[in-house]
Amino acid sequence: MKIRIDNNEYEASEKETILDVCRREGIKIPTLCHMKGVHEGVCRICLVENSGKLMTSCNTKACPQMDIVTQSENISRARKINLELLWADHAGKCATCKKNRRCELQNLTMLQKVENFRFVPKKEDLTQEEELDLLKDNRMRVVVDEGNSAISRTTELCVECRRCINICPTKELSFNNRSGDVVVGTPYQKPLDCIFCGQCVKNCPTGGITDKNDLDEILEKLDDPKKMAVALFDPALLESMSLEQPEIESQRKLVGTLKAVGFEAVFDLAFGMEIFIEKTIEKIKGNQSNNLILSHCPSLKLYIEKYFPEFSKNIIDVLTPDELMAIFVKTEYAKKNKINPKDIVVVSISSCVAKKIKKDTSLDYVITMREFGRIIRKKNIKISEVEGEEFSRDISPKNKEVSKMTRCGGAAEMIAREMGIEYIQANGVKDIKNIFISLRKKRIETKIIEAMICPGGCVGGGGQSNNIL
Amino acid sequence: MGKETKIITKNWGKINSQNIEAYIHAGGYEALKKFLFEMTPVSGVEEIKISRLCGRGGAGFSTGTKMESVQKEKSSEKYFICNLDESEPGTYKDRMIVDNDPHLLLEGIIISSLIVGANKAFICINGNYRKQAHILELAIERAREKGFMGEGILDSQYSLEIEIFSGAGAYICGEETALINSIEGHRGEPKARPPFPTQIGLFGKPTLVNNAETICNIPWIILNGGHEYAKIGSEKSPGTKLFILDGAIKNVSVVELPLGTSIRELIETHGGGMAKGKYFWFAQIGGSSGRLILEKDLDEKLEYDREAKIPVGSGAVLVVDRTVDIHEMLLSWTSFFRRESCGKCVPCREGTFRLWEIAKRAKDGKISERDLETIPDILWVLGNATFCPLGKFAAVAFFDAIDNFRKEILKEKNIN
Repeated sequence: MKIRIDNNEYEASEKETILDVCRREGIKIPTLCHMKGVHEGVCRICLVENSGKLMTSCNTKACPQMDIVTQSENISRARKINLELLWADHAGKCATCKKNRRCELQNLTMLQKVENFRFVPKKEDLTQEEELDLLKDNRMRVVVDEGNSAISRTTELCVECRRCINICPTKELSFNNRSGDVVVGTPYQKPLDCIFCGQCVKNCPTGGITDKNDLDEILEKLDDPKKMAVALFDPALLESMSLEQPEIESQRKLVGTLKAVGFEAVFDLAFGMEIFIEKTIEKIKGNQSNNLILSHCPSLKLYIEKYFPEFSKNIIDVLTPDELMAIFVKTEYAKKNKINPKDIVVVSISSCVAKKIKKDTSLDYVITMREFGRIIRKKNIKISEVEGEEFSRDISPKNKEVSKMTRCGGAAEMIAREMGIEYIQANGVKDIKNIFISLRKKRIETKIIEAMICPGGCVGGGGQSNNIL
Repeated sequence: MGKETKIITKNWGKINSQNIEAYIHAGGYEALKKFLFEMTPVSGVEEIKISRLCGRGGAGFSTGTKMESVQKEKSSEKYFICNLDESEPGTYKDRMIVDNDPHLLLEGIIISSLIVGANKAFICINGNYRKQAHILELAIERAREKGFMGEGILDSQYSLEIEIFSGAGAYICGEETALINSIEGHRGEPKARPPFPTQIGLFGKPTLVNNAETICNIPWIILNGGHEYAKIGSEKSPGTKLFILDGAIKNVSVVELPLGTSIRELIETHGGGMAKGKYFWFAQIGGSSGRLILEKDLDEKLEYDREAKIPVGSGAVLVVDRTVDIHEMLLSWTSFFRRESCGKCVPCREGTFRLWEIAKRAKDGKISERDLETIPDILWVLGNATFCPLGKFAAVAFFDAIDNFRKEILKEKNIN
């Protein structure tokens, strides 16, 4: 069928929404609650006009004889008022917010040129009693959850767009309360206890759900001349780094930036993966049973423990590549270069949020791509002026193919080829669930299973930036 | 057919409503028998379409059209929901129906379900109506004993189970998609349409949701024919309607009158005029979400019509006299909607909250220039950009009040 958008005719199919057609044709429509495959229509930002009536473009399917207007006085008025209303309920502590300059609400407000913030009463209009009421009300509604070492939540910065609710693969989050008191949270506001895949962090438009971090501590150690800061980075994830900082387009630039930030050495994580594969092969050789599960996805381990505990014994007990490599750095590397291991700080820059829940203490910190971006911005580093460098040669992988591992199935494929065994691979919770159900019913059997919680493996990890800025 | 036609209230106060024998003696369940043995579902829908009956919950959508679309859906399972989740402030017509004639409602539910091909019906009742839920439970039991429901109704090939579902009393759950969500066990909040519940409704099956009052008209239509029904009341929307007369009038009551009755007639003839020593100020038609009527509009007719100046809504008529403080009214409306918004979309969640704050300030006489500037903006966005009609309704009364009583609302400010 043909539909009219801004006085031009476009081809559209029945399945497409107006937003889909506009995105395809390059017509810009701002969105907030919209995500791929999710059409909630709750933020009322993506409004368009159809024969004079306002409607949301993200959940309205294309119909013949539609006459869509994407820019009008009414549309921008509604968007402005909606954004203003959102701001009135938003803490607005931009300067100290973890998402400052990467915040979609901030960005939308700038794009829509919202200049007035009229909905919040000014302090001089309030009596002492009312101010107290407001504070009480606020205290009741703000829920801060710092109960785990990977994800921190605060409803103060939440805009109730429900992206986290929709993206969560294990449906941990939902709306609590009603009307203006609505907060996103877990049942009975218990501390978050999930598989920490971090997809909610990746998709949160504001600072409502963020990485839990010790950034100040890391910054201190980076600047400490007595400490040797070592960065571990997987070059296969370069692309996801450029989502956070588009100027980092090459591996040389990345290493240069890491050095500029204050890391003394930057190692290729592929080496850690080699150790991981070696150790895994050893364990498989000593194990006669089938259906062994590779352990490099920390989220998967939590998932199995929570939902399929009978398979906990099938997990091959090997630390994650990051942890293995940190141990190597602190032992053999330190010994060889005569450095006191206590003076080495190993930081892994990863696209994984769940790795923050680490078991081994050799790995000092795990930070996500987003947090690395924050360090760059905090230190005011001009990436365009940074000189490119190579990974440190001191520890480097022998086999170049190892970097395939971050893509789903890479590790299993490599191990299977080397050992001549069967394997199954899966990614995304939906597929993984199906596999475990089949395993439970004994419908399938294989030697090793590689499953990665994030869709597409680590390349789709929860520790990346998702901002369409 | 004169003005005296009583369809819903014909048995009220005359028979012992709890007793199924009395109801049958008064001609009850005759319509069901007629439908079972003399009609087909298709001819049933035809009668209802001829009657031009429209939904009594507020929106006034044609019942026949809705029934036809569910009937036409090809699905092995269909559901019928009786919307008894009445929570509009000042509206209690459905409760009166259950109190006074539960079997009329049941008969309507059974016929409607069979017409659309549903073999499971839910009565979604407001959580606060404990007593009414009990009455219905007993009525269902009696009807089952008599063979009016269950497997093979009156030895025909039709079967129907009726279940009572008690909500938690949320206002939004009167909206049909929210109602469906609530029965499914989800959060009571509206879903995007399309798909309409008539196609994909309860548990993904075609579902017909009708207001209790609408359902009570069905037996009469089946028994007397759609043509007869279409002769009653106004040209645009035939039939009778329960009006709830409330406020500063002599007779506070529920009356059944043909649609098309003027507000003046309602107040003066049926409400007995203003109460002693009270002077008419304005009237609100249709609960908290209704429009405000001044003296000059009293001759407007109440009927379901898209172009009607005064929407009938739920049929509640609240007469307000000069002694009432408009600030109290504002606060009552805004606090109701602030509490009852489901919190799903931005304009309704945040807008109703800010309106409530402004109403509080107005009451304290501290409404500021900034507030006066923001009120039109909030009302406009509520009226034009919300997810479901609740936001639109939340703005109606406030808008009319600001429009008509601006002076009164601001006067307080100058005094203080």
